[in-house]
Amino acid sequence: MAEVRLKNLTKRWGDFVGVDNQSLEIHDREFLVLLGPSGCGKTTTMRMIAGLEDPTDGEIWIGDRMVNDDLPKDRDVAMVFQNYGLYPHMTIFDNIAYPLKVRGTPKADIAPKVHEAAEKVELTQFLDRKPKALSGGQRQRVALARAIVRTPKVFLMDEPLSNLDAKLRVTMRAELKHLSREMKITTVYVTHDQIEAMTLADRVAVMKHGVIQQLGTPDEIYNDPANLFVAGFIGSPAMNLINGSVQDGMFVTTGGTRLVKVGIADRADVILGVRADDMNVFEPGEGDIDVTIYAFENTGESTLLTVQWGKQRVIARGSRHLRKNQDDVVGISLSPEHLYLFDPETGVRIQAE
Amino acid sequence: MRDNTLKYLLVLPAVLVVFATAIWPLVESLRLSFTVGRLNKPNFPQGYLGFENYTWAFWEEPAFWNSVWVTGIYTVLTVALTTLLALGLAMLLAPGGRLRSGVQTLLILPFAMSPALIGVSFRFMFNPEFGLFDAFFGAVFPPLADISWLAHPQLAFAVCVMADVWGWIPFLTLVLIGGLASVPPETIEAAQVDGASGWRVFRDVTLPQLAPVLAVVIILKSIFSLKTFDQIFMLTNGGPGTATQTLSHYIYFNGMKYGQIGYSASVAWLMVIPMIFLTYAYAKFVFRKAS
Amino acid sequence: MTGRQKKQIINAIQIVLILIAISIMLIPIIWIFLAAFKNHVDVYQLKLLFTPTLENFGVVFDAPYYLGAKLLNSSIVALVTVVIAIPIATMAAYSFSRFRLTGETAMLVMILATQFVPAVVIILPFFVMFRDIGLLDTRVGLILVNLAIVMPFAIWMIKGFIDGIPLDTEEAAMVDGSSRIQVILNIVLPMAAPGLLTAGIFCFIIAWNEFLFALILTNKDAVTLPIGLALFKGEEGDLWNLLSAAGIIIMLPMFVLALIIRRYFVQGMTMGAVR
Repeated sequence: MAEVRLKNLTKRWGDFVGVDNQSLEIHDREFLVLLGPSGCGKTTTMRMIAGLEDPTDGEIWIGDRMVNDDLPKDRDVAMVFQNYGLYPHMTIFDNIAYPLKVRGTPKADIAPKVHEAAEKVELTQFLDRKPKALSGGQRQRVALARAIVRTPKVFLMDEPLSNLDAKLRVTMRAELKHLSREMKITTVYVTHDQIEAMTLADRVAVMKHGVIQQLGTPDEIYNDPANLFVAGFIGSPAMNLINGSVQDGMFVTTGGTRLVKVGIADRADVILGVRADDMNVFEPGEGDIDVTIYAFENTGESTLLTVQWGKQRVIARGSRHLRKNQDDVVGISLSPEHLYLFDPETGVRIQAE
Repeated sequence: MRDNTLKYLLVLPAVLVVFATAIWPLVESLRLSFTVGRLNKPNFPQGYLGFENYTWAFWEEPAFWNSVWVTGIYTVLTVALTTLLALGLAMLLAPGGRLRSGVQTLLILPFAMSPALIGVSFRFMFNPEFGLFDAFFGAVFPPLADISWLAHPQLAFAVCVMADVWGWIPFLTLVLIGGLASVPPETIEAAQVDGASGWRVFRDVTLPQLAPVLAVVIILKSIFSLKTFDQIFMLTNGGPGTATQTLSHYIYFNGMKYGQIGYSASVAWLMVIPMIFLTYAYAKFVFRKAS
Repeated sequence: MTGRQKKQIINAIQIVLILIAISIMLIPIIWIFLAAFKNHVDVYQLKLLFTPTLENFGVVFDAPYYLGAKLLNSSIVALVTVVIAIPIATMAAYSFSRFRLTGETAMLVMILATQFVPAVVIILPFFVMFRDIGLLDTRVGLILVNLAIVMPFAIWMIKGFIDGIPLDTEEAAMVDGSSRIQVILNIVLPMAAPGLLTAGIFCFIIAWNEFLFALILTNKDAVTLPIGLALFKGEEGDLWNLLSAAGIIIMLPMFVLALIIRRYFVQGMTMGAVR
């Protein structure tokens, strides 16, 4: 059990900056998700914690120990890899037992521990097989069992679900959540999938270009995004971002439509962010503004309306029973309590007064 | 142990072996090439001559120029013939299926054969009395019937070329089949749908995408053709006269039969020069692939 | 003519061409096989029907040819060459594959280049040195020079196999608590074993078929099989039935080995320039 502290951590390859002077405290027993697009530095950060990558600068602390100079084997961490990293020449039993064996665990203690771990991930009947004979989901479980067979200080998980098909991913996500709440071990989890981040994390660190953009609970990240990047990255469909200005306390689109009252001082350039769910769809004339449908999509559980709004297109979510056609006109209004305003220059959120 | 030390320790033995077995003899050959270097005289290598061995080869030795000429023609012919025939065979075999992949498997056999043995077997096949190929050529083209192929300068040369082409076609074919397999089938299908004829598809789509592999094949085959020794030695031993004497054979003959190590080392180094260019070109392909 | 008929005709032509090609490739080999079982009369005639005999295989192992000694030399030289080359090459290949070394490209190019140096260039200084230190006509001397031709192939080929082992697996082992040496012994070697065997067989074939070094360095005690072929030149010309029997002894084991590793032949010969 331990906390992980990163102090001014930097990783550079020549001119390329992978992680840029990041500090981060991961609390004891916390499930922290590093979220971001590929190349944002999230995997590099994790690999530096594991000791698979040497930091260019900065310090990594696990518990009370600065581990910068420790080899991976001496850091007492367990890791689940994206491609699982199973040992193809060993049986499942030997795969799971390997961390124990190599650390000199007495022989008599190994078998019970392996069985216990295998039981947790429901693998007991496959222990004699080799990884090749297992399905993707089962291999994933082996990787998991190999991590939980010991009680390490920290779990590291690098996109562990990304190689599974969509259906299996949902099942495994729930299993992971259950296991992590049961084991209560500090966990760092890397993903580019916001659903995984939202569902699994105690806290999420959203990263871009090697810099943490926002650190907070899933609620905070979703409902209180710190900047344009986080706002645009979290949520599906992505948040609508509409260019315009604020005049007399009203948001006015670039096309000149006065739209909605916002609580900030007048300014020339501003971006209004609004989620599809916070755009209400009405019959023509009944909303704040009438717009033409560019595309109408029925996803089954709801409907998505892409509407033409001056030169921009905006997505609104309608009820599952709504039926419209391309080029129909609908009325749209925005929920004033769920609007976000950003500075287009810096991307920083402008908080209402 | 830290990786930073270990990684150099791991390569050290290999680098030492390569130095001792390849780099040192290369440098030592260069040194010997400036000496008298007569094996059959005392105090080997008997002092330095400067560039005399080289100038001797250039100005005083028609036999040297003969072997340069033989090697040059030999290389051009074998590279061109092997590449073209192998390309054709690869096109025939690439589609796969039971017959074609069975034939692909059999192609490994000539390739696993010792070049010296290939030389022997071609001498056998072209024996004027009981050689099978000799009989075949005689039947197809009567003026060639019962001719003593290996006693005739041009025909002996032709047999050498044939033996070489025969020995290398399998390897080149297998490489080119691999190359063809890496041409994305969608590009060929797209061209077919676009209305290109079979020949146009090959010329406009397949061939350009095969070009890097073809280049590798041609460079590699050129290197091996320039070095040819084993087959020639067993097939004609450079004869009749010096009609089939390649550079390697010329060097061997002067060095081992006449004991002129210094002189043959200088000719050997003249042979290294084209190799450097070919190796450079080849290394570019290998490292482009790796990065 | 419909498109379908045209296709069938083209396919038929292709099959005929393939059969012609494969016949040309195989006939010299088959001819040697037949000749090896012909007696010393039949072999000097162009005939397919004959009474097969095994006597040639007996003769070549007897006086004055003693092919058994050559077979032993070839086996020992090729085997020891491989046994020395593969571990050294594996260590280097692992390092080249997994680490960044100063001068890495230079070393790899050097290793690649040595493969292309003409054997005659290498052998001249070795001949002189072996003459001075008494290694001429010994298996030890032959093994040393064979390393020169085998090492570059082995390093490049094994590097290709190790490149193909997922890095994940090794990193997992490191996080699980292995040192680098343990990773190599417990994870890399077992996973690379088929590749090492393939490279070993490949190098064995090269060393077995090697001709020029053996021709120059040996004359009696350490003569290998390919050089032994020269024995069968009698007063009245080549003894084709015996040559053929010896030829079979040289090529048959190589055919078996080559078929075992045929999938990797191209990759090995081109050092990864073509896969």
